[in-house]
Amino acid sequence: MSDVIAVLPEAIVTATAIVLLGVAAIVGDERARPWMPWLMLLGLAAALASPIAYPSSGLAFGGFVVVDEFTAFFRLTFVVLAGFTALIAPPYLRRERVPDAEFYATVLFSTVGAMTVALATDLITLFVGLELMSIPVYVLAGLQRRDRYANEASLKYFLLGAFSSAILVYGFAWLFGIAGSTELTQVSAAVAKAGLGSPEVVVALALVTAGLGFKAAVVPFHQWTPDAYDGAPTPSTAFMSVAPKAAAFAAILRVMATALGPVQLDWAVVFALLAVITMTAGNVVALVQTNVKRMLAYSSIAHTGYILAGVAALAAGTSAGAAVIFYVFAYGIMNLGAFASLMFIDLEGTRGATLDELNGLWSRHSAGALAFTVFLVNLTGIPPTIGFLGKFLMIQPVLDAEFGWLAVAIALNAALAAFYYLRVVVHMFMYDPDATAPRIEAARLLSASLVVAAIVTILLGILPDPVYAFALRAAEPVVIR
Amino acid sequence: MILDRPVLDHVLTLLVVIPIVGLVPLLFFMRDERAAKQVALVTTFVELVVSLVMLAQFRVGEAGFQMVDSVLWLPTLGIRYEVGVDGISVLLVVLTTLLTFISVLYSSGGAIKMRVGEFMAAFLLLEVGMVGVFIALDLFLFYVFFELMLVPMYLIIGIWGGTRRIYATLKFVLFTLSGSLLMLVAIVAVYLASGDAGSRTLSFTDLVSDRGRFAPDFQFWAFFAFALAFAIKLPMVPFHTWLPDAHVEAPTAGSIILAGILLKAGGYGLIRFALPLFPIGAQAWLPIILLLSVVAIIYGAAVSTVQKDLKKLVAYSSVAHMGFVTLGIFVLNVQGGVGAVLQMLNHGVVTGALFLFVGIQYERTHRRQIADLGGLANGWPLYTTFFGIFVLASLGLPGLNGFVGEFLVLVGTFRYEGDPVSGLVWGPLAAIGVILAAVYLLWMFQRVMYGPVREAYKDLPDLSPVEIASAVPLLALTIVLGVFPQPFIRIIEPSLERMLALASAAAVAVK
Repeated sequence: MSDVIAVLPEAIVTATAIVLLGVAAIVGDERARPWMPWLMLLGLAAALASPIAYPSSGLAFGGFVVVDEFTAFFRLTFVVLAGFTALIAPPYLRRERVPDAEFYATVLFSTVGAMTVALATDLITLFVGLELMSIPVYVLAGLQRRDRYANEASLKYFLLGAFSSAILVYGFAWLFGIAGSTELTQVSAAVAKAGLGSPEVVVALALVTAGLGFKAAVVPFHQWTPDAYDGAPTPSTAFMSVAPKAAAFAAILRVMATALGPVQLDWAVVFALLAVITMTAGNVVALVQTNVKRMLAYSSIAHTGYILAGVAALAAGTSAGAAVIFYVFAYGIMNLGAFASLMFIDLEGTRGATLDELNGLWSRHSAGALAFTVFLVNLTGIPPTIGFLGKFLMIQPVLDAEFGWLAVAIALNAALAAFYYLRVVVHMFMYDPDATAPRIEAARLLSASLVVAAIVTILLGILPDPVYAFALRAAEPVVIR
Repeated sequence: MILDRPVLDHVLTLLVVIPIVGLVPLLFFMRDERAAKQVALVTTFVELVVSLVMLAQFRVGEAGFQMVDSVLWLPTLGIRYEVGVDGISVLLVVLTTLLTFISVLYSSGGAIKMRVGEFMAAFLLLEVGMVGVFIALDLFLFYVFFELMLVPMYLIIGIWGGTRRIYATLKFVLFTLSGSLLMLVAIVAVYLASGDAGSRTLSFTDLVSDRGRFAPDFQFWAFFAFALAFAIKLPMVPFHTWLPDAHVEAPTAGSIILAGILLKAGGYGLIRFALPLFPIGAQAWLPIILLLSVVAIIYGAAVSTVQKDLKKLVAYSSVAHMGFVTLGIFVLNVQGGVGAVLQMLNHGVVTGALFLFVGIQYERTHRRQIADLGGLANGWPLYTTFFGIFVLASLGLPGLNGFVGEFLVLVGTFRYEGDPVSGLVWGPLAAIGVILAAVYLLWMFQRVMYGPVREAYKDLPDLSPVEIASAVPLLALTIVLGVFPQPFIRIIEPSLERMLALASAAAVAVK
């Protein structure tokens, strides 16, 4: 029974997904449509509240699963992101005739997978979680099945994702070979004993880095990202640009910090280099994009680079782990919001939005333009926003771990990124709208949730202490001193 | 007094809050031009009055920070919300509130024709950042305000600016942002160097209390990062290229604020943070900064002389004037420092006024090329008088304010005994800049105001009441600061001596 209580939130989310599918089948898609997001939010709220009613901590399922502060933080993050997705999706789904129930249920299944990653104390749990998270996302990418771009996105994502999973599981196999166990703590002990001198550890390290790199879209393992993000229906893009990335970093923290923590000093430099390459490549390519959706896809690669810098700096201790966790949370809200803001244009039936299509959005839809601007300011890292705090907290452990050049690279990249983020603001505020531009449909729920989210990013930018303190506690169990 | 004591005990926090409070009704009246103007006018006026109340509360002769509000803001990081003013910053705060009020007043007179509500909202947000920069005593808080100024100014230039506004505004933001992001790295480094985990701080008063905190090597790079950010903002040659573009394209009110306040944030940052925190680093970079200052003075003046565009001329003259500010700060003596602070105030008043008058003129003639203008004095006696006085103040005529600051800076420079090059070299070179200022300003005045009356400009009206109301406070300050600089020097001097003492004592302590 205590095992079930340990995974009660995950169980509730799964049940919600099944109920949604069932309700849609029984009362019919059309009648169920208005209630779907609210039903989903109810389930998510219950999942979030359940650990308060039935607290549980420590190992469960014979050591396959652990509930600690790390789990709690990521559960919160994933539930918030799924809830946010539910609030922004309806107008697009209706417009593009994407099946509602399937969309919401798939998001929920993916969320369960992501939450499982955060629970993992064992390579097997971790892998199952990652796959459970990934497979629904492939489906989400292709949910608009009559759209050839969506098909392309889905297929590309699936093939490369499956490939990366194979690499990852092969790396896990090597780790099992070294330790004779799949438990993270035992792997850690065995790796510490073997050291980097043994070729097995090097092979495992390389395979695991590549496999997790694919999931997080680290350059050079990022090729699937732009096409997948660009081709997928926009609400799917919004979700899959944040939740899988957050889960990937949860996995990276669990595996790299805990299992491979003993050889941290050896892989840190590699990660630092990967971080610089990732952020620079993402930003440079984003500079020349004229489709904002594609630009945001590349920008999300750049943000992977920033987060990776924190992983490279794990020698600094919990502050590095907390920086990664905080940034993942901040990135989740701001990036989901940014993609979702595109839906004001998407609702008119075009794919994504070119810069010119955003001309004069401020006079066409003030709330949407304002919210989008706030998210872009967040992504740029200008205070007082949560995005700025993410960068501030990230630079701290990076300098502490004596990666001065990496901190400078983050700063220069942020300045570079400002150019393309602010260009979007230029088009929204400083150009007049096209006379032939179609009227923007009123989507009250979408506008309201975007405005609320924008305000939240500013409020948390001014008063981030509760979140950061939580992130510090969450980093405690994964970072080995 | 309408306000009761307890509120006025937190007068600085009040200064930050008032514009934010003003934003709330503005959001509701966004589409109603008249209401938006009124809300903005009332808000900036109240802000001005409160800042004058603050000035009245200021105890002249004390060197330390006054009216300090300090609360632990981010307990897990030990970062504080800490605000306070001393002699260096108190006058800059009043300058900020005054220029903001004047800009809003002038803009509500019809200079801004579209999206008035948004314009006023951007201005109020800008005011929060500007006031905050001058009162923040925690580096983190300072950085937040420093960056907060960026987005509103970006919008002000980009939406209400001239034809090349988008190029200009992107250039402005990217220049400023690259500098300040490197400063952010340095701020984090300062934070890490300030102590062991758990006792770290970014509070200025804490950071300067322990003198041997930063190693010489560390200071070298930290000073570089700070000085770079401020040098871009100031701007110092060779980082000045964004300034002419931004000024030419910005609407008049934007130019006033840009020249009057935003540039001062750079000078203020140097004198408040870069110098006292990293005195040894400052020593290492001193020769280069002095050289660049003198280059800025001569180059700015020389380039101004050949400008064909009126606004560009004033913009380049700002580069020269800011050269005096850095020169005064880094000769590291009281005369130079007091001169630099006065020069910041004077430049804010005078150049703000010059941009105002260029703007007034442009609105009537729609010409900014000097060659297209001429003979304006015939129809505009009032305009000519005002503009003439500000031009004379800008070129440093004794009896007007421009003279006082430049004179003190030059005195300080001559007294500077540094190697490899002493003040006896820098002083005469800087003095050439003063002469050149007379050349380009008087020549410009002659070409624009005198000469034959042009048919097209014959019937254009002289100053309107709103324009006169905007200009009179600036004129009064120009004369008062020029004739009675002593009260202002008394405010500045003790705090400045304390800053210099911090800078030199710290240098000794580590050696």
